[in-house]
Amino acid sequence: MVEFWGGARMMRAKLAYIVGLAALAACAVMVHAGPSGGTVSGKVTYEGTPAKQKPIDMSKEPSCAKQHTTPITTETVVTGPGNALDNVVVYVSAGAADEGAPSQAAKFEQKGCQYIPHVLAFQVNQTLEIANADQTSHNIHPLPKVNREWNKSQPPGSAPIIDKYDKPEFIPVKCNIHPWMHGNFAVLKNSHYAVTEGDGGFSLPNLPPGKYTITAWHESYGDQSQDVTISGSEPKIVNFVFKAKPY
Amino acid sequence: MHRMAPRLRAQRAVFLTSGVSFALLFLALFFTSDPPASALPPPGASIRAIPAFARKYGMPCSSCHEAWPMLSPFGQAFKDNGYQLGNDRDAPIFQQPAYWPVTFRMTPNWHRENENRGAVDGPAGPSGNEASITTHGFDWSGLDFHTGGTLAKNVSFYVLPSSDNTGAFHFETVFARLDNLAGSSWLNFKLGKFELDNLLSEKRILTLTNVAGVYTNYHFQPPTEGGGALPFVFGIGDNQVGMELMGHSKNDRTRYSAALLSSNDGSPGLPAGRSYDAYFTASQAFQIGSLGLQRIGAFAYLGQAPTYFQFTQTSTTTVGTDTAGNPVTQTSTVGVPGTGIGNKSFYRAGLIAQIYIKKYDLTAMYFHSADSPFLGTGTAANTPLPAGAQKPIWNGALFESHYMPNPQLMLLQRVELVRMSQQALPVVPGTPYTPGVSVPTSDFGNEEVYTFGWRYYPFISSRAGFAFHNEYAFSHQVGTSPVTGRNLDFSSLLVGFDFAF
Amino acid sequence: MRTMNSSKLFLGIAALLVMPLVVSAQDGESHIGKLSGHTGAGKQLYFRYCWGCHGYRGDGNGENAPYLNILPRNFVAATFKCRSTPTGTLPTDADLYTSLGRGFNNSNMPSWIELTDQNRADLVAFIKTFSPRWKTDKAGDLIKVPAEPKLTVESIKHGGELFQKLECWKCHGQEGRGDGPSASTLTDSNDQPIRPYNFAAGSRFKCGSTNEDLYKIFITGLDGTPMPSFADVIKPEEAWDLVHFLRTLQVTHKSPELALWGSTKEGAEQIASRRITGTPTGSGIKQ
Repeated sequence: MVEFWGGARMMRAKLAYIVGLAALAACAVMVHAGPSGGTVSGKVTYEGTPAKQKPIDMSKEPSCAKQHTTPITTETVVTGPGNALDNVVVYVSAGAADEGAPSQAAKFEQKGCQYIPHVLAFQVNQTLEIANADQTSHNIHPLPKVNREWNKSQPPGSAPIIDKYDKPEFIPVKCNIHPWMHGNFAVLKNSHYAVTEGDGGFSLPNLPPGKYTITAWHESYGDQSQDVTISGSEPKIVNFVFKAKPY
Repeated sequence: MHRMAPRLRAQRAVFLTSGVSFALLFLALFFTSDPPASALPPPGASIRAIPAFARKYGMPCSSCHEAWPMLSPFGQAFKDNGYQLGNDRDAPIFQQPAYWPVTFRMTPNWHRENENRGAVDGPAGPSGNEASITTHGFDWSGLDFHTGGTLAKNVSFYVLPSSDNTGAFHFETVFARLDNLAGSSWLNFKLGKFELDNLLSEKRILTLTNVAGVYTNYHFQPPTEGGGALPFVFGIGDNQVGMELMGHSKNDRTRYSAALLSSNDGSPGLPAGRSYDAYFTASQAFQIGSLGLQRIGAFAYLGQAPTYFQFTQTSTTTVGTDTAGNPVTQTSTVGVPGTGIGNKSFYRAGLIAQIYIKKYDLTAMYFHSADSPFLGTGTAANTPLPAGAQKPIWNGALFESHYMPNPQLMLLQRVELVRMSQQALPVVPGTPYTPGVSVPTSDFGNEEVYTFGWRYYPFISSRAGFAFHNEYAFSHQVGTSPVTGRNLDFSSLLVGFDFAF
Repeated sequence: MRTMNSSKLFLGIAALLVMPLVVSAQDGESHIGKLSGHTGAGKQLYFRYCWGCHGYRGDGNGENAPYLNILPRNFVAATFKCRSTPTGTLPTDADLYTSLGRGFNNSNMPSWIELTDQNRADLVAFIKTFSPRWKTDKAGDLIKVPAEPKLTVESIKHGGELFQKLECWKCHGQEGRGDGPSASTLTDSNDQPIRPYNFAAGSRFKCGSTNEDLYKIFITGLDGTPMPSFADVIKPEEAWDLVHFLRTLQVTHKSPELALWGSTKEGAEQIASRRITGTPTGSGIKQ
């Protein structure tokens, strides 16, 4: 054995060992960089005084009114602790490739004469499933400008409505029968998005190295964009601050 | 995406050139002296184009009018429906209370008139010579003051006081109409004074000159007519007074009308007799491929006119004193209005075709008319006819064509012919026309009228209308010059701003 | 003599003759039965008849639009009320052609039936050029309207049950007079206030006047308005029951449904309680 590993053979073996290790390390690095990539995270906050949300009078729909012991308020601006701004869609608007739709459906529910969630983000051509959990009829009336506009009635107990959108757009949704009901669809081109809630935090993981534009959209305050460059796997912090309007 | 720039440029070019030509004309005659008193004013013929409808319904003039006042098929159907679109919003209750269905129309202009043989004083004595009389200057037309529309759903009305250019008013149109009786577009009943349902509407004529402001064939009467206690005056272009039953198919392709009218050519106050005339029209339209809508129709007016009064009244008035201080009296005998009798008949009949070929349209008409010999010679029915008197019979033709390269410009021309086929009085060649005796030639009274012109509409909106109107017309009649019995020609040239609000 | 090849000449002439056809096919066309409309001719007609309300750009912003109660259709958005196709899809050429000929009751859009068939086909072709959606999407599939079943009292009663179950009364009101609890807050897709149809007032609907038109209205929904499509929630046979019932709400219009309903005791009582009687001057109304 000692004879086998001596002299030039030893040198070549060491060389092969080092090369092999390096290759393994490179593979590990590659594998590591693939799924885990870079992360953009941050918080969306507001400054100033947001408009007061008004309580909603549901007396015209008693079956919904009795589901709320205290009347719910409008949701044009929903805030959280520490001046957090909720219901903001944070997404990659440039720099990432368009992706095919995932197989699971995006679910939108009408409950207590409210849209749950208030803002639903999903992808182009992803199945949208709208359910009516109330004892009253609703009509689903999304109001797109780029996509097709449709309007369907959904009585209680009927099957969920299945549809999809083929162009990216922010679409307001309303129910004509219950005029206080307002929601939003955010139809996006890729899977890198998040909707803030609670403390206003968001996280966009799995971003390959490159330059990206991150856009934050709020239904009342418009949108803001910031550029960020991902070079490795270190997290990048991007915060958005919206100016609140008192009206 | 519609690009406005080329159209706007073309628009401006046309407006500028017409404006420049008018401006030059204006400058050239800026220091003209007052026109002579004999200058004839343009006809006060009332003409229909009613921006009030455009304001009521929010549609531009070009929807209902090919080029106002000429109607398009859509506008004709609107009128036939009783000025209703039929969308349950026609009744006045749907209008703003401030909406008032009133429109006025007027045409200030410059015009030039010429008569080749007018009777003037001269060596041959008072009004014994003939001279070519030319006048020109600035002037204005009469005023039409339209009000019309709906009183309620399926009850419509129209009132049109109309004045000449001195402001003397008369009522051109006064009627109320029950539309769509029994829910059917085939039954509409109108009562009052109105334009006959002529397919070529004289009230919507596109020419405004003295010569061509009316359709010659709609008014022609042989020169031997007129005179007597009850002069016979009639034209199917005159608005008549009576009642009319009119019907049309839903898309207005088939139309008919039947009217019963008083025999007084639309005069108020029952001045003539107690007889009645009848008028019938029918037409059918059909489409030919992509050329447009074509229409053919026929009409017949069967009339009668009184020739003398049943009762007369004589009155004596003192007009002065003679040299001896005795009163001088004057006696006059007039017929009691409304007691005209001795009714003699006449008719006006004809065919019409309206052809549309894309932007070009042609109207062709044929007329055949005859009057009773009494009417033809101005003889009362209780007196004998002149020797050799017969029914005057004449034929007429009318060709009017328009070319509209776009809704804002219309080029138009018209030719009218009237040919006597039988004279009322015997033809004695070589002698002048002697009323009640003879006429010089068998073509005595034949007439031709030629017109051409163009109208430019600088804007088409739903509030008001404006047209820059240019026209030349020329008429020629055989043997009717006042002194020598030679041919009598008139010509008119008119440039004006024709506007309606 | 020239040594021109005569067959080449023939081909050349044939090509020239075919060229206009090729050009017009690319021009954009409409097809309604045997009729073909062309955008070139339609453009001339549009700028004579339509632009005053529908605007130069076809977006419903004509000079008269600010003064109209129901706003003119915005062709750029390509959302149409009266269709034979499902909600969210484009109407067929025949739908647009029929709408032109029929007009829209209780609006400023008149019936253009006096225009020739060719004119209306040309206008349809031109209207389609205003929105890019006509290039990317096709018209929706025609909805199937089954044959109308026999009119029976059971059908009317079942229709009444559907009226309650589908909560039509929320907007249209229990008597169909357009006075339901949600009626006063209704807005269309342009946020303009809009009223639901009042069955008691008339005999014509927005999109026609026959039973089949009524069937299509609630199956396709009136896109651009609060009226949704009930295609997913009502079976075709049941839909006809609803049609029969809705006709009994039209108390001023003599229909077979109203007559049949009035011949039953329950129906007669209901109609008598709703019916407006008397003349417009009130002389016939019992004091």
